[in-house]
Amino acid sequence: MGSLCSRQRHYNQADSEENARTAEIERRIEQETKAEKHIQKLLLLGAGDSGKSTIFKQIKLLFQSGFDEAELKGYIPVIHANVYQTIKILHDGAKELAQTEEDSLKYVISDENKENGEKLAEIGGRLDYPCLTKELAQDIEAIWRDNAIQETYSRGNELQVPDCTQYLMENLQRLSDTNYVPTKEDVLYARVRTTGVVEIQFSPVGQKKRSGEVYRLFDVGGQRNERRKWIHLFEGVTAVIFCVAISEYDRTLFEDDNKNRMVETKELFEWVLKQPCFEKTAFMLFLNKFDLFEKKVLQVPLNVCEWYKDYQPVSTGKQEIEHAYEFVKKKFEELYFQSTAPNCVDRVFKIYRTTALDQKLIKKTFKLVDETLRRRNLFEAAKNLPEIFSYTRLDGLR
Amino acid sequence: MMSCAVEGGCPSDYVAVSISILSIILLLAKAVAPYLIYKIPRPKGSSFWLVAIQVLASFNLLLSIVMALNFLKFKGRHWWNSCYIWSVWFEGPLGFGLLLSCRIVQGFQLYNIFVKRRLPPIRSYIFLPLVLLPWIAGSIFIHMKKPLNNRCHMGAQWIIPITCLHALYIAVLVGLTGAVQHVEFRFHELKDLWRGILVSACCIGIWVVAYILNEVHEEISWVQIVSRFLLLVTTSILVLAFFSISLSQPLISLMSLRKKDHPECETMGHALGIPDSGLLLQGEPTQFADPNEPLDKLLLNRKFRQSFMAFADGCLAGESVHFYDEVQQLEKVPDNDHVRRIYMVRHIIDKYIAPGATMEVNISHRCRQEILSTLDLAHPDLFKNAVNELMQLMKMNLVNDYWLSAFFMKLKEDANMRTVNHELEEFGGWNFSHRLSSVHCADDPFHQEHSPRKPDSNSCDSDLQ
Repeated sequence: MGSLCSRQRHYNQADSEENARTAEIERRIEQETKAEKHIQKLLLLGAGDSGKSTIFKQIKLLFQSGFDEAELKGYIPVIHANVYQTIKILHDGAKELAQTEEDSLKYVISDENKENGEKLAEIGGRLDYPCLTKELAQDIEAIWRDNAIQETYSRGNELQVPDCTQYLMENLQRLSDTNYVPTKEDVLYARVRTTGVVEIQFSPVGQKKRSGEVYRLFDVGGQRNERRKWIHLFEGVTAVIFCVAISEYDRTLFEDDNKNRMVETKELFEWVLKQPCFEKTAFMLFLNKFDLFEKKVLQVPLNVCEWYKDYQPVSTGKQEIEHAYEFVKKKFEELYFQSTAPNCVDRVFKIYRTTALDQKLIKKTFKLVDETLRRRNLFEAAKNLPEIFSYTRLDGLR
Repeated sequence: MMSCAVEGGCPSDYVAVSISILSIILLLAKAVAPYLIYKIPRPKGSSFWLVAIQVLASFNLLLSIVMALNFLKFKGRHWWNSCYIWSVWFEGPLGFGLLLSCRIVQGFQLYNIFVKRRLPPIRSYIFLPLVLLPWIAGSIFIHMKKPLNNRCHMGAQWIIPITCLHALYIAVLVGLTGAVQHVEFRFHELKDLWRGILVSACCIGIWVVAYILNEVHEEISWVQIVSRFLLLVTTSILVLAFFSISLSQPLISLMSLRKKDHPECETMGHALGIPDSGLLLQGEPTQFADPNEPLDKLLLNRKFRQSFMAFADGCLAGESVHFYDEVQQLEKVPDNDHVRRIYMVRHIIDKYIAPGATMEVNISHRCRQEILSTLDLAHPDLFKNAVNELMQLMKMNLVNDYWLSAFFMKLKEDANMRTVNHELEEFGGWNFSHRLSSVHCADDPFHQEHSPRKPDSNSCDSDLQ
């Protein structure tokens, strides 16, 4: 009898524990549901290599606790991998150009660097990269200074040479240091294709204040195969931040050598604008990589891109840069209005000139975005008010 | 009786027509069943279109026989009741000719893939019209010359070249089948090719007999009626027997209605009999999933691979891991077993590499072109560059987030065989990595702990908002 009672008690105890746990879980779910309603969903969309992940990293740096030392050190393999991959692309590119071009002599690597070049290209093709030592850094620097490689680099728009090449090559000595800890700038320059979806939650007013909005930002991959995953994120989006790398009007896609990047971005932007889920979504267009655009537009005319073929240069220097930028901006505005159905005309659309690597600029830009979204939310809420007023007015008349 | 034989509408005619309708329904069921029952997505490209066109051509063929031989009684003469439309166009370029052309295109694809070991050099949507050209030319010629009498019969001097054209296509099919007959197919492709030849030869035999009977005994009505009936019924049966999916989609053919005794072959690996990949390290929990080990070594371990795959699927980056998995299965097939290698390679290309594929992976243009334009599908290093690129992608991108995720924690706990945290079990996955809500405690505006979220609850956002 006694044992029976004790077993009963044991079951009751287990039961009440179970109930307590269930209650706790339900309370948590309820809290979360309430919390969810206040969270605004932001999507970072854009073609491959447009700067989405850099903006994502900037948001982390600005509005979260940033990167701690362990995270910074975690970027060392990425930066080293970028170095090896870049030098391999340049070396293989030089070899190919030496075979296919008539003026092939200028792409032939000089004899003293040939062996080095082969060795580095072999390293670049491996699965596991060795750590970047001072020796290797010296070899890489020697190759980088070779005329053939410099010539190849000047034709980098035909190969898939990453934008951070110049930066990496200039800082090789620092990167190969045994106690190297990447700086924030290094982390921002590091390049990795995003695959799948990454998200982050933050509040722009800073760490302790509660009165600000809460945003959940989603970063995605931009290559063609990644885009079929975007559809899973399209519900209930407050704003789409569409990134465009305006300096890439003379380059082709990573995943398709025959398609111009700017034309692809144009088609992608049109497709995104026409999505039915985005009827009420705000669109923030970030015309990114302005620093590279500034340098390029004076050397490579905009009309190499078929979308820009009606461009006429007017002057030189800074005026020309501004004129070119205004032209690009107008093109995107026209595209926006062409692709916007009449029922979506009152959605918010803003264009910002950005350089994702510039922290101050991104902070300022994001504050503007935040303001715009808050104003828009107030406007949406206020739209419901007039009905109440008209009702009371009628009542007053009676 | 006399009028029924000439104008149509005899009872036997209606029976024959209903049998042909039944055979069309069965044909559609056979074609569509695996997709509906097993919920497989519709395939893209030639593997879908060639099968769809075959179904359409079978329908056209039966319709042409029904209309040309006056099975149904129509009041008055309409323009669409013309002999030429049915007996020439619908029977030839849109019926029998189209059926055989599809089969020839499929056979040509098999020949390229298994004998020449490369992907077909001519796209099938260009090749099919080319093969159909003689039929179209012939039909135009007949249409201009107009040799048909009012009973839709031609004179002997026309019938012989037409029969020769039919027989020519069967001969081409025989030739192609002979070229691939030494290949040890695993999904009844050869059987289906021979069956197709037999069926079309039977068809022609029956038509010749029916024609002779009709021509010679045009006045004897019961000969007309009986030969008409037999013609339609046998064509209906033969059209059903001609159809096969295995030539374009071997894996789907395993799942069609009749083959219930086959075990559930969900993956090509299973279907080819490749043993499950990966070792199962037992009894070494401490050596388990050490973050400092290179990723390719870790992926050899089955438990780690499954856990990592589940994590990647959760954040929509799973295709790279699945691709790696299937390439590992490919590696297990011995180098000299070309046929099995080619099946696996073709499956991997259709699923992961072809532009627009269901699980297309993130590789460069150069890498993709190298694979698609290779001259040897059975080459051992075909996917080496693609695997390299994707491993780099996984190492730089996914793996770091994995170490912080709940999937890894679960894996560690399973390995150490501690009592599993109940809360962890019930929530099914708390996640501290950036792949999901990553809020450092200091920042949390709601002063909660880490908000726990299931990996796939992003889609539930709309419900909650």
